[in-house]
Amino acid sequence: MLGYVIRRILYTLPSLFCILLACFLLTRLSGDPVELFLPIDASEEARQAFREQNGLDRPVVEQFFVFTERAVRGDFGNSLRFQEPAVDLLIERLPATLELALATLALSVVIGIPAGIASAYFRNSPLDFTVRGVTAFGQAVPTFYWGILSIIIFSVWLRWLPSTGSGTIWHLILPATTLASTMLALVTRVMRSTLLETIRQDYVRTARAKGLTEMAVLVHHAVRNALIPVVTVVALQFGVLMGGVIVTETVFAWPGVGRLAIQAIYARDYPVVQAVVFFFAVIFVLSNLAADLLHAVLDPRVRLR
Amino acid sequence: MKINRRTFNAALAGQALIAGILGRGSSAMALTAGTLTIAQGFDPVSLWPNFSTTQEQINVGSAIVESLFWVDPKTGKTEPVLGESYELVDPKTVKIVLRKGVKYTNGEEFNADAVVNTFKIFTDVKVTPAYGRYAAPIDRAEKTDDHTVTLYLKHPYPALHLILSQIYIVPPKYWAEVGGAEGFGKKPIGTGPYVLTEWVRDNRIVMDANANYWGKVPAGIKKLVWRPVPDDTARTNGLLAGEFDIATNIPISAAAQIKAQKGLRVVSVPSYRIFTIGLSNLPEHPGPLHDKRVRQALNYAIDKQAILDSLLQGEGRLLSGQLLRKEQLGFDPAIKDYPFDPEKAKALLAEAGFPNGLTITFKFPTGRYAQDREVAEAVAGMLAEVGVKAEMVSLEAGEFLRQLSARELAPMGFVGLAPADDPDLQWAQYRSDWRYSYLTHPEIDKLIDAGAREVDANKRAEIYKKAAQIMHDEASVLFLYQAVDLYGVTDRVKDFLPRGDQRWALYGMSMS
Repeated sequence: MLGYVIRRILYTLPSLFCILLACFLLTRLSGDPVELFLPIDASEEARQAFREQNGLDRPVVEQFFVFTERAVRGDFGNSLRFQEPAVDLLIERLPATLELALATLALSVVIGIPAGIASAYFRNSPLDFTVRGVTAFGQAVPTFYWGILSIIIFSVWLRWLPSTGSGTIWHLILPATTLASTMLALVTRVMRSTLLETIRQDYVRTARAKGLTEMAVLVHHAVRNALIPVVTVVALQFGVLMGGVIVTETVFAWPGVGRLAIQAIYARDYPVVQAVVFFFAVIFVLSNLAADLLHAVLDPRVRLR
Repeated sequence: MKINRRTFNAALAGQALIAGILGRGSSAMALTAGTLTIAQGFDPVSLWPNFSTTQEQINVGSAIVESLFWVDPKTGKTEPVLGESYELVDPKTVKIVLRKGVKYTNGEEFNADAVVNTFKIFTDVKVTPAYGRYAAPIDRAEKTDDHTVTLYLKHPYPALHLILSQIYIVPPKYWAEVGGAEGFGKKPIGTGPYVLTEWVRDNRIVMDANANYWGKVPAGIKKLVWRPVPDDTARTNGLLAGEFDIATNIPISAAAQIKAQKGLRVVSVPSYRIFTIGLSNLPEHPGPLHDKRVRQALNYAIDKQAILDSLLQGEGRLLSGQLLRKEQLGFDPAIKDYPFDPEKAKALLAEAGFPNGLTITFKFPTGRYAQDREVAEAVAGMLAEVGVKAEMVSLEAGEFLRQLSARELAPMGFVGLAPADDPDLQWAQYRSDWRYSYLTHPEIDKLIDAGAREVDANKRAEIYKKAAQIMHDEASVLFLYQAVDLYGVTDRVKDFLPRGDQRWALYGMSMS
């Protein structure tokens, strides 16, 4: 098991380096930050001063060298916009994003798993059709659209919930449900389909033959085994969730990392973009790693490979 | 399911329960008396107004830190704030008299030392790169006595009031204590009507009224809450939901909905931003646009009124064949825009040697200006009618700015430029050696230089009129329209009047 863990961790290192290189190059391909930071009629002298201050006057290769060397130490340089460490900005906004991500995760698991079980168990019943319909819809509609739609319904029409911002539990409801729409649907569908498969397995039939109650068969034998792929999907989705966070945080003016990212991208705030992209990449890689490890824990056959 | 009385009652009870739980949520977000809540697109990076020229952050910061003067949009006059008056001793020397008995909220005295020190900061291009253009004419500031400062200019400068209303006076001791711009930007101390209470980045900025303010705190506004809401639709919806008093930058498409709701109104302000299509005649961009007749033909080919009416829903003003706005010094009422005349356009093109039309590259931004793509498409469609095939190149906002600045928006590019309210700052952008100027005309250059140093208003106006006539006849740009800024405002807010540069001040505002 230990060997497997170490091997898996080592595999992530080249991915992380490639990500570093990609986000460095991509940000530099996309225009000059000077244009966006200084007013359009700024004098040449001011533009030069800005470049020098932020190391933008040096050759690109040198910039990359400095960047990588610092990044290894967890230093992504100062934000061009805020003139303070990019990592500090990231850390400052992390709690808000985690709050949103965890709420989404909780919603998806707490609603998605029972819904998937019920849907599979009462296969082809009206309940099953409803669940399948709703999940297909949930997955098909873009997050952005959900967000605006829920603001119009619950804030503008009903005036039940605040449309934007954060602070109270009320502020959390709309963004979390919006963000959960895709993930919840996925969890439900995966739960349903794997449970349908396990129900047909021999050991379930054996359990039934032994005279166990329907409940015991379902909970102890079928669901338990069907959960393995669901766990994998949830872990993997946690990485994907971070992408959805960008859209959701912008629509709901949620003060998290996603919003910081999108503003930094628009402003060509290289250090912040790099720090955030790298952070998202690490989350993604780690959640993949977690998925693999969890899988290995739950299914001993994986470890032997 | 059949609805009988029992299920109906159950549903009612359920609804009441939900409303009961959620009701608390709604009371928490309703507007409170005495608190002015403003939603804008960005959270300030710094609360020091001279940190950048971003309007959103100057508006927030200037509730705390005050300037010497303020150009009031109601009167168009330069009104005193921390400065009482200023006068030209000679064309290069300015005497500024300061208000007496004003203290910063940390107890520091507002006096000539504070002003001189602030001028030092303002003219340091490393600290205030964004204000380099305003600082350029300043030589130095000296203290005459505690409440008088003498400002020495490098050359006579007609737009002096712009400098004096652009400089925000910081307390020298506190500034040094917090380590300059960075520290001050996070926790500013000023002489203004409000003090900073709370700043949760990207979420809210809360300010309370300054109990010892030297002037009158806006009546009925005890508290300010600034909320950054980046998405235009979400900001509009928040206003409709009754969460904000003021929502800035409302999309044109939402204006009708706001007007229709009771208790809300739309404040529409003619913007300083004017839209033109640059038609390059620079030597490095050879092509048909070097022929004046082609440039004129393009101007005749566009039905500008139709664009304004349909795409901008009438929210805007057509340019009068010149760059300056009606309110500006040097505007020439005698100059009229090229009328919509496709036949004339075709004739001119034929005369210039293009009887079968021509093909030209047309660059435009997407997502930078209101309806930018739509306007560009309409323009291309109208050009096609007279035989000019525009090859459209759409640019993302950041890339657009880079190309604009690098003179790559050639030969034809859609731009909206919003310089500060002085004819020189408008005209200087067209001087042939300026970074993103797309026209070269020695006589216009000479007139621009003359206008920049002419202190006599009448002579100055004449200079700009002359330049405008040349530019009109040469059809150096394709004249389009002046934009409008839209704000959604609740009825309880009185006298909210932003300027065309999206700046607004709390002076004179009130709330019922």
